[in-house]
Amino acid sequence: MDVVIASSSIDGGIGCWDLQTGAEQLRYKTCASPPHGLVSVGRRFLASSQLRDPSATSGHVLYWSWSKPQAEVKSFPAEPIKPLAADSEGSYIVGGGSSGDIYLWEVATGRLLKKWHAHYRAVTCLVFSEDNSLVISGSDDGCVRVWSLFLIFDDVRRQQASHLYEYSFTEHTLCVTDIIMGYGGGSAIIVSASEDRTCKVWSLSRGRLLRNIVFPSIIDAIALDPGEHVFYAGSRDGKIYIAALNAESSPSNSYGLHIIGSLSDHSKAVTCLAYSTERNLLLSGSEDGMVRVWDVKTQNIIRMFRHAKESNAQGFSR
Amino acid sequence: MLGKREDKEEATFLSSTSYDGKFHSFQLHSWVLRPSAFWVESLKVVPLVICLSFLLHSAGACNHFCFSCFYFVIEIVSNSKFNTQRLARFPNVKKDGTLLAGKLIQPVLKLLNDDSVEAVWEGAASLLYTIITFFPAAIHHYYDRAEAAIASKILSGKYSTRTLKKLGYCLALLPKSKGDEDSWSLMMQKILLSINDLLNDAFQGVEEEAKSDEVRRLLVPPGKDLPSPLGHTPLESASHEATRSSERLPASTVSTLIFCCCKMLTSSYPIQVTAPIRAMLALVERLLMVDGSLPHTMLPFMTAMQHELICSELPVLHAHALELLIAIIKGMRRQLLPHAAYVVRLVTRYFRRCALPELRIKLYSITRMLLISMGVGMAIYLAPDVIDNAINDLNSFGDEDVETSPTNIGPSTGALPQPSNRKRKHGTKTGSPEEKQTISSEVEPLNPHQTTPITVKIAALDTLEVLLTVGGASKSESWRSRIDSLLIKTATNSCKRGWGNEENNNFLPHESTSIWVDFQLSSLRALLASFLAPARIRPPFLSQGLELFRKGKQEAGTKLAGFCASALLALEVLIHPRALPLDDFPSSYQTFTDGASHRFPENMPFYGQKGDTMFSKSMQGAEQSALKSDDDDLYDRWLQNENENENIPIENMNDKRSRFNFVEKPCANDSSFTNILEVSEQELAAPDADVHMRGKDEIMVQPWHSQESIQQTQEIVSAKGVTSPVVARNPEGTEIEFKAAVSASDGLNQTDHDIVSDVLADKVDGFDNVCGNTSSTISNVEKVNASVAHLDSDSSMDSFPAIVDADPDTDSD
Repeated sequence: MDVVIASSSIDGGIGCWDLQTGAEQLRYKTCASPPHGLVSVGRRFLASSQLRDPSATSGHVLYWSWSKPQAEVKSFPAEPIKPLAADSEGSYIVGGGSSGDIYLWEVATGRLLKKWHAHYRAVTCLVFSEDNSLVISGSDDGCVRVWSLFLIFDDVRRQQASHLYEYSFTEHTLCVTDIIMGYGGGSAIIVSASEDRTCKVWSLSRGRLLRNIVFPSIIDAIALDPGEHVFYAGSRDGKIYIAALNAESSPSNSYGLHIIGSLSDHSKAVTCLAYSTERNLLLSGSEDGMVRVWDVKTQNIIRMFRHAKESNAQGFSR
Repeated sequence: MLGKREDKEEATFLSSTSYDGKFHSFQLHSWVLRPSAFWVESLKVVPLVICLSFLLHSAGACNHFCFSCFYFVIEIVSNSKFNTQRLARFPNVKKDGTLLAGKLIQPVLKLLNDDSVEAVWEGAASLLYTIITFFPAAIHHYYDRAEAAIASKILSGKYSTRTLKKLGYCLALLPKSKGDEDSWSLMMQKILLSINDLLNDAFQGVEEEAKSDEVRRLLVPPGKDLPSPLGHTPLESASHEATRSSERLPASTVSTLIFCCCKMLTSSYPIQVTAPIRAMLALVERLLMVDGSLPHTMLPFMTAMQHELICSELPVLHAHALELLIAIIKGMRRQLLPHAAYVVRLVTRYFRRCALPELRIKLYSITRMLLISMGVGMAIYLAPDVIDNAINDLNSFGDEDVETSPTNIGPSTGALPQPSNRKRKHGTKTGSPEEKQTISSEVEPLNPHQTTPITVKIAALDTLEVLLTVGGASKSESWRSRIDSLLIKTATNSCKRGWGNEENNNFLPHESTSIWVDFQLSSLRALLASFLAPARIRPPFLSQGLELFRKGKQEAGTKLAGFCASALLALEVLIHPRALPLDDFPSSYQTFTDGASHRFPENMPFYGQKGDTMFSKSMQGAEQSALKSDDDDLYDRWLQNENENENIPIENMNDKRSRFNFVEKPCANDSSFTNILEVSEQELAAPDADVHMRGKDEIMVQPWHSQESIQQTQEIVSAKGVTSPVVARNPEGTEIEFKAAVSASDGLNQTDHDIVSDVLADKVDGFDNVCGNTSSTISNVEKVNASVAHLDSDSSMDSFPAIVDADPDTDSD
């Protein structure tokens, strides 16, 4: 069953809908999570970092099993955690701390296996690579870094290495808001969005910038087309821009270079995007609390889910 | 083992005797409908059938008993079928089966404990295995007794490998009957401790004392009690007896126990359990690090006999240690990550010392598993060692002779390096464990002057293929060219003497031909991977490779031909890069009304199948210099780039103009690439006037065009007439947009241009021809725009000719 899950920064729990029928499933209670703070761990259970009041010194992460609305497990990491990510098998969870540290927990035992200082300022987003061997992190200071988990775990080589990261991309000038990684282990691309109104496309094999796309407004969420012809950028002006990657872009240029179109519902800012590869649908969460399901081919909305006042949706199947 | 046909007959016979008519007919009916299901079932029945026949024909003392349990056995046969096939429909059957199987356990255990013929034990083991598999609950009450019975048999080490393996399997499955975490962990702990204790005895004198404690320390944390020994019998008594009596090392026992571990790791278990991974890895390391060399201090304590004995057992032990490692990798999956570095070090260290073909093949397969399961990160780590070893193996002495003359292939090339010319005969490549025992050889450093068996070469090629697939793109600069040339050389050599074909090699044994075919296939497969794996330059040996694939394709009807055909298909995109229009976004094609937009015919991808492989050195240089000057400040960088581009005389223009014209700069830059120079010059020779443009441009450019760009030019030209006013509006449009954008609008323009020029440059390197066309299209459009602007904008009228003039200047630079 393909389900859509959505949480928001205002406590509205986690909404869960069947993507095919549109029926609402169980609503998981008490969850107020920051962007990128909701993750399904190996499709076995849900984990969500919780927003805390600024004075709090420790973090708060809640875990739900699929069958029960109440959170079953709570953990309190040493500092507030915002972004969470899990590898595809659900063996590990990584979390980014507000001090710039990244934490890596083993799911089976719940132990904190590693913690390393990744950025000078808060970590804002985290993703695992397709083969789960790399972690990519974005930070408040505009830095995007690629980490090899092998190096993180290899004490011998770590001492020899001058730095822990594989690559450090510093071209963004403001806070990184979202990162996605494309297909193909070593030769994949990474797309990052930032508050400096740009999305940048990086090559993992060469470790350099491939393309810089300037958008009319700040992009908070990006999703990649499975064929990587284009990517979708959800902007604060409520539009979802379609930017060309491996596609012909004859710049109609009402928006800018490489932007070949947009999906728009005249809604509030888009806060999150996800792509359902099985059904070829784009999901967008907006500040107005709605989750929209787009058929990108016809550019129509085929479904809408009401979550709360503000939402932060993630689409996937289980 | 019985042949499949016999199995079927016997199984049919058994079930027909066991059922009443109704069930019988039902059963038969289902077999007819589901032949495959029956097949599976009949295979499961085999061990029972064998067991039964053994029971029936074994020693007279047992005869009476055996007949008494005949009925139960038959019940189990039938019930096990139901158990798997349609348990849902007959819930009672399982219960009954469990009950009946429970009754059977005691006699079976008695059989195991009695002194009897080995065949009886083997049969009993088979029966026990079936019971555990199908009715795990039945054995629950007899858990300890079963463990004791099996363990004592294994530890005595007196039986054939087959019986021991079956017993090992039973032991491994035993915890399933309880199905909780504790019994699994306890069993694993006991087995590992037993192995460790056995090794303590065996390795006395050939390893340092400290090693022996390590595994025990990891298994039993300080402060905890040692679990009761395996089978509740003190190990010393059992193993000592065996060792002394047969004057041999307990290699068979150790192998059985390791086999048991492997099964426990890889077979399914009802709940999640924690494996003592560090202890297992330490055990593997302990086994692999013993190479038969004697520390000098130990020399006086060992007799030559003892030493010889250990050395003769080492290959088997090493092989089993590698098996355990494979099982660990399979069983742990992603959980291995924290220990990956340790495993890699273990593998690479052993790789350097291991010379036996069987072990090398196993090592290669472990390497492949690690690469595939762990991805890029692992590839970066493993690459240097894989490459060194593969180059060694593929370039080994006698390479050409061995590889290219089919007469030399075959078992003879499987000869092992025998450092001390022992009396034993050579083993074959695919020896069973018994045969392996006769292969006595110390593991010694790789000798470059030995011939490498073709099977090892196949393994090396397969591993290179995986390495290229997984890690061809990341940090591969240092080794890529070496591997590419090695692979083309190997492939060429393998195909030099014709294609492995069963028909034309009648004079050779069948096996060697098929190995030859495998070798050719592997070498071609690795070659394809080397062409397709992302790289920074075009595959240097593409033409030779294509020739090989074409030739191979002609061997119609063979596996090779099939592979070569698909290889050629895969390679086609290297030769004809594709940038197909998007199906989903028709809008991007309906916007051709905008003339200015055509300044960037960006129908080329900036990465991917072609863009990636075609990255020119010149562009790299430019990029690197740009990156070097970059101090993380985008704005500075953009400004800097603008300075770099000042060879285009546009400084004197006003702000608005330069903004409008930023798009021309990449074109100017682009056309300075030598391969387009010609085109551009030709074009530029055309008069600037608008009137001439329309007619002439198209004609002049056409001969240079591929179809694609002809179309484009035509579109542009046709669009031009219609869209003049639109074009005139466009500069303002862009301006507004950029004003809206971040503060430094010039800077932004510059960045865009920067990226565009990247893209263009990629293309330039990629396909000269197309690129020429593109740039010519660009220049066309430029002129079109220029002329349009000329018509339209009065304020800038005077400055425009200057721009158009500027282009030829730049080009002639």
